[in-house]
Amino acid sequence: MPVIQTLYDAILNGNAKAAKEITQTSLASGVNPQALVDDTMIPAMNEVGRRYEANEYFVPELLIAARAMKASLELIRPLLSARGSEPVGRVVIGTVQGDLHDIGKNLVGAMLEGAGFEVIDLGVDVSPEKFINAAKEKHATLVALSALLTTTMHSMKGVVEKLNESGMRPGVKVMIGGAPVTQKYADEIGADGYSSNANAAVALARRLVAA
Amino acid sequence: MTASVRITLRPLGAAFEVPRGSPLQEVLFPYGVEFPCGGRARCKGCRVRVLEGTLPVTAEQERILSPGELDAGWRLACHCRAEEDLTLELAQWEAAILSDESPFAFTPRSGLGIAIDVGTTTLVAQLLDLRTADVLAVATALNAQARHGADVMSRVGFAVNEKKQELLTALIRTQTGAMIGELLRKGKADPASLTDVVLVGNTVMHHLFCGIDCTPLSRYPFEPVRDGMEPFRAEDLGWSAGGSIRFLPCLGGFVGSDILAGILAVNLHRSDVPLCLIDLGTNGEIVIGSRGGLLCCSTAAGPAFEGARISMGMRAATGAIAEVEPGPGGGLACRTLGDVAPRGICGSGLVDAAAVLLRLGRITPGGRFTGREPSIMIADPVALTQTDIRELQLAKGAIAAGVRILLGKSGLAEGDIARVYLAGAFGNYVNTASAKTIGLVNFPPDRIVPSGNTALRGAKRALFDEPGAYDELASGVRHIALDSDGDFQDVYVEEMRFPTETGDR
Repeated sequence: MPVIQTLYDAILNGNAKAAKEITQTSLASGVNPQALVDDTMIPAMNEVGRRYEANEYFVPELLIAARAMKASLELIRPLLSARGSEPVGRVVIGTVQGDLHDIGKNLVGAMLEGAGFEVIDLGVDVSPEKFINAAKEKHATLVALSALLTTTMHSMKGVVEKLNESGMRPGVKVMIGGAPVTQKYADEIGADGYSSNANAAVALARRLVAA
Repeated sequence: MTASVRITLRPLGAAFEVPRGSPLQEVLFPYGVEFPCGGRARCKGCRVRVLEGTLPVTAEQERILSPGELDAGWRLACHCRAEEDLTLELAQWEAAILSDESPFAFTPRSGLGIAIDVGTTTLVAQLLDLRTADVLAVATALNAQARHGADVMSRVGFAVNEKKQELLTALIRTQTGAMIGELLRKGKADPASLTDVVLVGNTVMHHLFCGIDCTPLSRYPFEPVRDGMEPFRAEDLGWSAGGSIRFLPCLGGFVGSDILAGILAVNLHRSDVPLCLIDLGTNGEIVIGSRGGLLCCSTAAGPAFEGARISMGMRAATGAIAEVEPGPGGGLACRTLGDVAPRGICGSGLVDAAAVLLRLGRITPGGRFTGREPSIMIADPVALTQTDIRELQLAKGAIAAGVRILLGKSGLAEGDIARVYLAGAFGNYVNTASAKTIGLVNFPPDRIVPSGNTALRGAKRALFDEPGAYDELASGVRHIALDSDGDFQDVYVEEMRFPTETGDR
């Protein structure tokens, strides 16, 4: 199925209202919901990611694009699960205990959703237990941890340790990100991957669930 | 004897080896030290302070530097050679430290007092004659803790994660104690006549100075256990003099007594009309209100306005581009501090540059470069990259969002605020029209009052009052935690954009 250019543009320009209306009309006219995701929404979010990477888009543009994508996805998701379509992967995402910063986490969550992942967002100030329980309950294949403070990033280590103890590794992969976090830190605590931005996080998540 | 010696530079933190006997002029120049008179010992511009090692005093240096300066270890770099391992403090970084000389109302009392502004990056102390409020001496320094983290959170991280709180406490107590000694020497004052010392600083500086555990400040809900006024005696701190010593009370969260002092300095708490105080330092704090009530918050604006995280950013020191205007033929005209060749850009220059580039249509209201070039030349070799503009957007967005949240909670609009005091070195020098153009402050420029170091001014006022005089005021200021405010994220993201009236997308 070809790209629905109007929906593609609505997402790129962050027009949530238009994205929702076009999705409604398309679904009403019998468009396959999975094709809508695969052929229009994912390419649109890929382009959003490319523009972000190229420094053409910044946090505001990225967030409004994500909002438009979500407005559309909310209509599609119930149809997908009714058809028994499997997502690319299931991700439990959250900002670690003691930390309330969620802009970066929300961006990564939105980009992952746009890439066809099912995203379970636990919010901010999330305890290690909450991460473990959600991963278990939702049969997640990936846990994504965010921290913006040097003082809270060490909670990540606790989550990885608890996951190890639970016996869910290596089936469940861990990816981490946030301003103070580095690849070196990821290696140190035994996380499977690190990403410095929302766009690269998608590529990393794809690689981790394919591994 | 080895053929080379090791040189460490403060506050840069650079360390390197050079052949023994190298002239310091050659050694320091690559590190940005300027020699204003060309190395002829005609000025003090290149002076350095010996922290470790020795540099002999020469006749030329005795002519230019006072005996007090020589005693304190100051030397002219242009007339010294590196004969042994040295740790040097560079004076040219002093330029950014803002003192205060403005008059204020007071009730005379006997004795001498010292007010100290304990900043995250810089320390400023003044010795006052309490009968006249005359400033007898000034001492400035870079906070010795700064090498263990540039901002408050990394300082807390060092204290908590690395378990080095005691080290940080010892560093700041020793350093302020030495500054008191320096002030008494400079003012030729009898240590016994020192009756009062008032210290102000943000909550992290308060905790680190007072020796209060920083762990609660390291994670949500960031609520200090004890953040009131803390009294000390000189012997508690290992100081040689002091009298009644007190660190003034914090206002809540990370907002400390430096902002309480700011409120005192501009009389926010006594105003009949709503006023606003914005203190832009390494952290950004905002207070809005009047005698009817005050709200405050702190924002993680980051030190972008002090030049950090900007590719060619620097503090407001020699060689920093401090002003930018539209020049002939669509170009830019710049003013550089110290009238030397530009080697970086400071906060006020950055704000000016962004404002001019917006007006010229070279960046969009979204912050994107309109051209294809990877960087925009401001004045050779200083250029701004796209990422620099993004850093500026994050910093100015945080401040503007903090103001909007406080206005909303107070039920006020921008137009209701009679005056906006911009405090701190950056706030003092920033062009108010440019600040408005980029949406850092969305108030009419004629209502913006550059106010200098209000923390130090307020601390001086507090020298004339009883130690507990401000406990009630401090506990009456309502602290808004932006982190957990439901609207903050949306407002922050909106404020990252530049105002649209300056041009089309």
